[in-house]
Amino acid sequence: MGDYLQYLPPLARGAGMTVILCLIVAVAGSLLGFGIGLARASSIGVLRWISAIYTNFLRGIPLLIILLFTYFALPLLIPGAVFSQLESGAIGLTLFVSAYIAEVVRGSIESVPQGQYEAAEALGLGFFNKFRYVIVPQAMRVMVPPWVGILLAMIKDSSLVSVIGFVDLTQAGKIVGTTTMQPLLIFVFVGAVYFFICYPLGRFGRWYETRLSISLARTPDALQVLVPAISDLIGSEPSSDLGGKQ
Amino acid sequence: MISVRDLHKSFGKVEVLKGMSCEIAAQEVVCLIGPSGSGKSTFLRCLNLLESITAGSVIINGHDLRDPKLDKIVVRKDVGMVFQQFNLFPHMKVLDNVMLAPMKVGKRARGATELKARELLEKVGLSDKADAYPSALSGGQQQRVAIARALAMDPTVMLFDEPTSALDPETVGDVLEVMKRLAEEGMTMVVVSHEMGFAREVADRVIFMDEGVIVEEGKPTEMFDAPRLERTRAFLRRVS
Amino acid sequence: MSWYPGDLIPYLPQILLGLWVSIYISVLSFLAGSALGLVAYRAKAGQSATLRRISSAYIEVVRNVPLLVVLYLIYFGLGQFGINLDPLWSALIALTINNGAYVAEILRAGFDSVPQGLREAAQALGMNSRQTFRYVVFTPGIRRVFPALTNQFILLFLFSSVASVIALPELTNALMTVNSNTLRTFEVFALGALLYYAVSSVLAIGSRVGEKRLFRW
Repeated sequence: MGDYLQYLPPLARGAGMTVILCLIVAVAGSLLGFGIGLARASSIGVLRWISAIYTNFLRGIPLLIILLFTYFALPLLIPGAVFSQLESGAIGLTLFVSAYIAEVVRGSIESVPQGQYEAAEALGLGFFNKFRYVIVPQAMRVMVPPWVGILLAMIKDSSLVSVIGFVDLTQAGKIVGTTTMQPLLIFVFVGAVYFFICYPLGRFGRWYETRLSISLARTPDALQVLVPAISDLIGSEPSSDLGGKQ
Repeated sequence: MISVRDLHKSFGKVEVLKGMSCEIAAQEVVCLIGPSGSGKSTFLRCLNLLESITAGSVIINGHDLRDPKLDKIVVRKDVGMVFQQFNLFPHMKVLDNVMLAPMKVGKRARGATELKARELLEKVGLSDKADAYPSALSGGQQQRVAIARALAMDPTVMLFDEPTSALDPETVGDVLEVMKRLAEEGMTMVVVSHEMGFAREVADRVIFMDEGVIVEEGKPTEMFDAPRLERTRAFLRRVS
Repeated sequence: MSWYPGDLIPYLPQILLGLWVSIYISVLSFLAGSALGLVAYRAKAGQSATLRRISSAYIEVVRNVPLLVVLYLIYFGLGQFGINLDPLWSALIALTINNGAYVAEILRAGFDSVPQGLREAAQALGMNSRQTFRYVVFTPGIRRVFPALTNQFILLFLFSSVASVIALPELTNALMTVNSNTLRTFEVFALGALLYYAVSSVLAIGSRVGEKRLFRW
């Protein structure tokens, strides 16, 4: 067993590359996905339409195709462009993840009851404020569990980047496994590493979901949500009788 | 028929039935009334072991419900139940709903079961709906199918857990009609209900329950016109 | 940049054969995986504590380990024990194992959401737990999660592309081969993407239609 310890560094490096890749994609994919999700939920027809094509298409093709396309075909479109394996992997994975996150964002925005929009408008909140203080905060809560689920899946899907040669944890495992002629041991180890990265995230997501369903059951009606939010906005005292209801 | 002695039922630390005793004779129709939370439904559900018994004894047709070796299914073949929410199986046609248990539990032949099922549907006035799905039926119709379904097992006792509480007022009458005819034919019935009119007309005995115990019981005329205890009077005032 | 899609034409049979292989392994793995998932669900919801633990462990492991790693484990790892599975069998087994865990969880959501009242009605009629599940819980439960199940099939189909790395001649693999033969990279992968998209779209529409047809109650 001892002579296998020499293989720990390359495996650790591979794990490190996986973590870096996943962090980049988590941030970029979430930002991009959030933006596209807002477009998906917006009332501007053109925006909805274009973002719909985007999410529909990217969710209807395999991640591997996106990665292969990004690495091999995309550089051909942009003369003189060469993407490193990390860059292609990051771009491809980001595009893929953003489509799923966009749909989750759209769903969570649409899950905010119509009554909230009406109450906000009745109180005179404009488009931007309405979204910022009323709709999006409520949508955020609902968004978290599926969003965590997508990130979890992304960590696993990042293993496909090994196919274009990027030395992530999976590729490191493949190289070490074939070199040592102990693929079983190495891949079990690799699997265990993924497990210990993903499992806590999954537990968190489920815990949050339980907490969320409890708090959603206690959600106050529109006015009680809006009044504190608006008083934050305009810095004045909430009127006394509404304040009493809290 | 049914003999209950000092029945206690707790859910965890909360005691819902605090020592109930009563005897129900064959062919008797007993109505259970009382405020919500008094334990009426829990009592009913103990009778067919949908709820386990914490303490006390319940003997139905010679079966001791506290006997650990007793197979629940034996009791349930003998005791039929009609639920407030009907609970018809949505993915099966009405006729299949009625035929399922006799065939699978009673192991009866398909031909005989179908014949019997159609008779029962006729009896509750719904033979034309045999091939419909429950979603196409009104609440009252669904409940009548539920009664037919329970009768298909040839029970000796029928339990009714607020059978009309979830129904629109127009359909309540149809269901009560069926129950009334059942009573006239001599079925032993234990009915939890708010329908005082039905209790007055059909019941042989009315039992008033509150906070897990039997407060007062007697013939309908006694209970409704001249209740002995103030608690009973107060309750009856509130509901009429 | 110039376009030469015509160069692909002689390779169309190979590509379409690859598509057929992808569909074929997806269907087989989905059926086998769903059967496995049903067994896993029953084990997890059942009486035996040992079976519950085994089933939970299976589901958790699959949900937290990449499909590619499982595939490598089967294709390369088993070789150590002298079990040398060919790419087809490796892919089928890996996809089945993967699918089974997800189907088990989908089924759990479906069956657990069947109203308790239906179960009680079945029990009141004298049915035991196996009868209750088979006649009263199963069909309504499946109905509730039918969209999730068909979505799982679509996901399985898309992820079957992973088998290309162990040289199974499914669609993605065929595309990579044609790419190296024609060097018409853009056209090849664009065509591939369109083929995958077409099939997944048809499946999605089919699922909605199927749902209405199958569950007329």
